[in-house]
Amino acid sequence: MPEKKVKRMALAEAASMIRDGDRVAVAGSLIRRHPMALIHEMIRQRKRGLTLFGWNNGIDFDMLIGAGCVKEAHSAYVGLSNVGLAKNFRRAVEQREIRYVDHSETCAIDRFRAAATGAPYALSKTPLHTGLQENPEYQKEVTDPFTGETWIALEPFHADVAIMHAHRADPYGNVQLDPIRMMDNETDMLICKAANKVIVTVEEFVDEEEIIRTNQQTVLTKLFVDAVVLAPYGAHPNSCDLRYVFDIAHAREYQAKSATAVGFRVYLDEYVYGCKEWDEYLAKIGRKHLESITRMDIAGA
Amino acid sequence: MQYTLEELLAVEVSRHINDDEMGFVGVGTGGAAFIRAVGIPAVASRLAQLRHAPNYTIMFGPILDPVLDADCIPETNFEPDLIRWPCRSQITVEEALCIFKRGKMGIGFVSGAQVDQWGNFNIVCIGDYAHPKVRLPGPLAQPDHAAHAKRVFAVQKHDRRTFVEQVDYVSAAGNKDRSGLPGGGPAWIFTELAVMDFDPRTGRMRLSSVHPGKTVEQVIERTGFALEIPAEVPLTEPPSAEDLDLIRTRIDPSRKWLNAQITQEPATLEAD
Repeated sequence: MPEKKVKRMALAEAASMIRDGDRVAVAGSLIRRHPMALIHEMIRQRKRGLTLFGWNNGIDFDMLIGAGCVKEAHSAYVGLSNVGLAKNFRRAVEQREIRYVDHSETCAIDRFRAAATGAPYALSKTPLHTGLQENPEYQKEVTDPFTGETWIALEPFHADVAIMHAHRADPYGNVQLDPIRMMDNETDMLICKAANKVIVTVEEFVDEEEIIRTNQQTVLTKLFVDAVVLAPYGAHPNSCDLRYVFDIAHAREYQAKSATAVGFRVYLDEYVYGCKEWDEYLAKIGRKHLESITRMDIAGA
Repeated sequence: MQYTLEELLAVEVSRHINDDEMGFVGVGTGGAAFIRAVGIPAVASRLAQLRHAPNYTIMFGPILDPVLDADCIPETNFEPDLIRWPCRSQITVEEALCIFKRGKMGIGFVSGAQVDQWGNFNIVCIGDYAHPKVRLPGPLAQPDHAAHAKRVFAVQKHDRRTFVEQVDYVSAAGNKDRSGLPGGGPAWIFTELAVMDFDPRTGRMRLSSVHPGKTVEQVIERTGFALEIPAEVPLTEPPSAEDLDLIRTRIDPSRKWLNAQITQEPATLEAD
């Protein structure tokens, strides 16, 4: 009997699916559940010329931008929330090292939905009379054929690859989220469906029988997923719903070091280039420290 | 009766909240910015519910209509605590934003690094967009509030750096030209000095009241454009004893909202 395709793979192998110049859609929002293990590996593999798509971003975009992987980025926000400005992002835009395209939250999500549903474009009134109408190649004024009203047509976020961090999966690529979670990140599923290839890191693997038993929690079936990778604490220092909280101490260290390009290089040398894989990074953060951010009350979920 | 600036502002904002409408705030950052963007709107919302608007609901990002009594307010505004906050519904961000697009959002609470005489807001950049002097984090859902909410409210810092003739980038459309936009645009601006609204004929910002102990001259001095000033400018009505009692005993006794204790970065507007 032929075997089913096992999509479980190592971090390095999964990241090698991303090519220089790709358009990469990044799941997660603000300081929540961005796929950081994968982002570290992309930096170690020295990806170049990427275009990033997101709707609310933080350390994920900032780190890729600071490491020189990015030529263009789209989002409604790039910042570190309570910790303050994202300094690599700020420096790169002020010094015109990258092209950055501003969106509102609805416009960014609309562009993901258009790509995920195969629509030729999204429609919005939000950009009217605002600076969001800059960057005209991504948006055109159109007339509603029924009412004659003016709308802005937005190009879909057609991504080559989407990257997401989730709670668990089986080796075939059926991906689940815990039933009680922050609903901000439901956009992740649209983000993944907008892309040609999808890579998902997970906190834990379960077998296929467990997925079948709890199929209400499945948010992406294997049809949509090309690679699944084990990465415990894979969103760190971002939060991961009820499992662990935003690591504000580490985020402050990150932000202090990224005050200058030289300082950020020190951060990367220590925490990214200086670690061959994600486990080494977690060891550097320290078991005790990780325990202090762990919540793990999903049993009561 | 003694009251703080945060209490004065929360009570004043609450007076402009209507029954049977919905408001939206983000879940916020920390410190004084949190007090303006989240803390004051949150306390104003609960006070309005208790005083005159029992059917007013508020949405904190994906958390719809949470219980706003003190013992239900989360210890922190971090994710595990927010997820456990008692509320009537947790909705996806898509659904939350569709509420705007369907014209069901009454009040969008915003704040900006700059606001101009037309009520345009800017939280994108200082200086030229293509080559900014300071790049800020970006507009979040602010353009959506300005396009779709029935009214936009802002609690702002009042100085010439913030109140500018013209914003460097329009991240939320004001009253200068609203053709094609379904929402009502900016309605009320609340600062440490005064309350402003907009002249319906000209679309320009005008002084509505000055707070007790502040003067029209101070407002003019700290505004970077010619504010419309009526012949008679009333004083902002101070909080009543009942307002203060509700805030201090029932709504915000541990100052999670009005002094940002929930963010673990406590602050006051006086010191900002």
